[in-house]
Amino acid sequence: MMATKKIINSSTEAAKNEQQAEDFAIVLKNIKKTFYIREKPVDSIRTSIFKFSNNNKKRAIPALKGVSFNVKRGEIFGIVGRNGSGKSTLLKIIARAFPSDKGGQIEVNGKLIRLALGMGFDGNLTARENIYLNGSILGLSFKEIGAKFDEILDFSELHDFIDTKIKFYSSGMVSRLAFAIAIHVQADIFLMDEFFGGVGDVSFQQKSQKVFENTFLENRSIVLVSHDMGIMRKFCHRILVLDRGRQVALGTPDEVIPVYESLFYNG
Amino acid sequence: MSRFIPENNRYERIWILAKYDFKSRYYYNYLGVIWALIKPFFEFLVYYVVFTYFFPGAIENFALYLFLGLILWYFFLEGTNKGINILQQKRYLLENIPFNRGDLLISTTFSAFMAFMFNMVVYLLLSLSLGVIPFHSSIVYFPFLMTIYFLLVMGFGMILATISIHFKDIQHLWDMFMLAGLWLTPILYDKQMIIDNLPALIYINPVSGLIINVREVLLYGNDPDFQLLGFNIIYTIVIFAIGFFVFKSYSHKAAEKL
Repeated sequence: MMATKKIINSSTEAAKNEQQAEDFAIVLKNIKKTFYIREKPVDSIRTSIFKFSNNNKKRAIPALKGVSFNVKRGEIFGIVGRNGSGKSTLLKIIARAFPSDKGGQIEVNGKLIRLALGMGFDGNLTARENIYLNGSILGLSFKEIGAKFDEILDFSELHDFIDTKIKFYSSGMVSRLAFAIAIHVQADIFLMDEFFGGVGDVSFQQKSQKVFENTFLENRSIVLVSHDMGIMRKFCHRILVLDRGRQVALGTPDEVIPVYESLFYNG
Repeated sequence: MSRFIPENNRYERIWILAKYDFKSRYYYNYLGVIWALIKPFFEFLVYYVVFTYFFPGAIENFALYLFLGLILWYFFLEGTNKGINILQQKRYLLENIPFNRGDLLISTTFSAFMAFMFNMVVYLLLSLSLGVIPFHSSIVYFPFLMTIYFLLVMGFGMILATISIHFKDIQHLWDMFMLAGLWLTPILYDKQMIIDNLPALIYINPVSGLIINVREVLLYGNDPDFQLLGFNIIYTIVIFAIGFFVFKSYSHKAAEKL
């Protein structure tokens, strides 16, 4: 296990020397996110007319209170924190699904895909169609997708169901497909939201862990969110610890996992 | 930033989005395409019976007049309704991959346009079977008129898509507008009735002028009414510009709010 990490580390070092130190996959500066919620949501014309007539006060929930970090090209970067610490919100901000509050800066260099369990596909389309759709959204031409198609199929082991609508898939099958697409369609940056570890059966898990251990991911960057400290310790080069939207620690797994674990005792 | 990486597959992407949108609407079973054609045709028959036997007018080639008006109206109806739903529908993409949200609106409008083109084939067959020559030299204006119409539908689509993020009940309001639109546009009756009684309506309702002009060039072989056309061009530019600006500025919260 440790050997694996070294291999990736050394390839990162090599890449670093070639491409200069400022070649980052993700640069975040002072990212803040505040959600505004009301007791009763004002999300229709009807409710917005009546929103002033009752005591339906707007409440600000600061989900992220200024987070800054860089992810290097080829790095596997972990984010840990207790439930509600802002991990998923942060990933959605990096994926540009959520806008962050004014004042922060996000720079993403490369094609990015966010992977989360059971999401990312249109249930009414077949696996084949979803592969083309996702590939196309990620910026690949039909020709390039066609060239990768068999590899995706082989990796996901879904040969018998390729023309079945996704809505008839089990969640494990959906995740396998998502992972297969992500690693084959040349996304540069993966954001994995509790995605790793729970995907597929044991043999598929082993296969997807192997992906981390060979050259598949050279020059690609991964941001990993997980509660499984075994996985985090094994794969991450650096880990960020979030607590209630605040950046508590950032460093190697050995340095910061104790910090994370201490959060549970200090409250 | 990823969004500035030059992309060579944009047209392919818009095409595939439109194709799957069209497919999921109509191809869900083998009768799918037939439904796409039967529905407007059935509606056409109902109106045809009512306006031929109960409220007879004196419109030349009324069947074609009605059918062409209806399918043009359907394009607007479908394109704008898709605009209302598209961000919700494609949330699964918006949440996971950064890409140009505007492509979604181009693709839905295009998908509605494909349905329109299918109906144009029916129109062609209908006119041949009624012994009316479907082509005149004035057909050269048709692509231009449809381009304006396309941009108008897309402009409304962008405005409605943005509104739908914050007001989820916009669909109900829009349904009412569309019902009013069907009757306040010269689709079922002669345009002269509006011109004589409520001329302002031709100018308030941007679809009227386009439907009138498409009929002139396709059905009657006349030049379009250039005054009306000029007005429609300006209307379309304004709506499209508003839609573009509003969508660009306010649609970034789509994944968060929907």
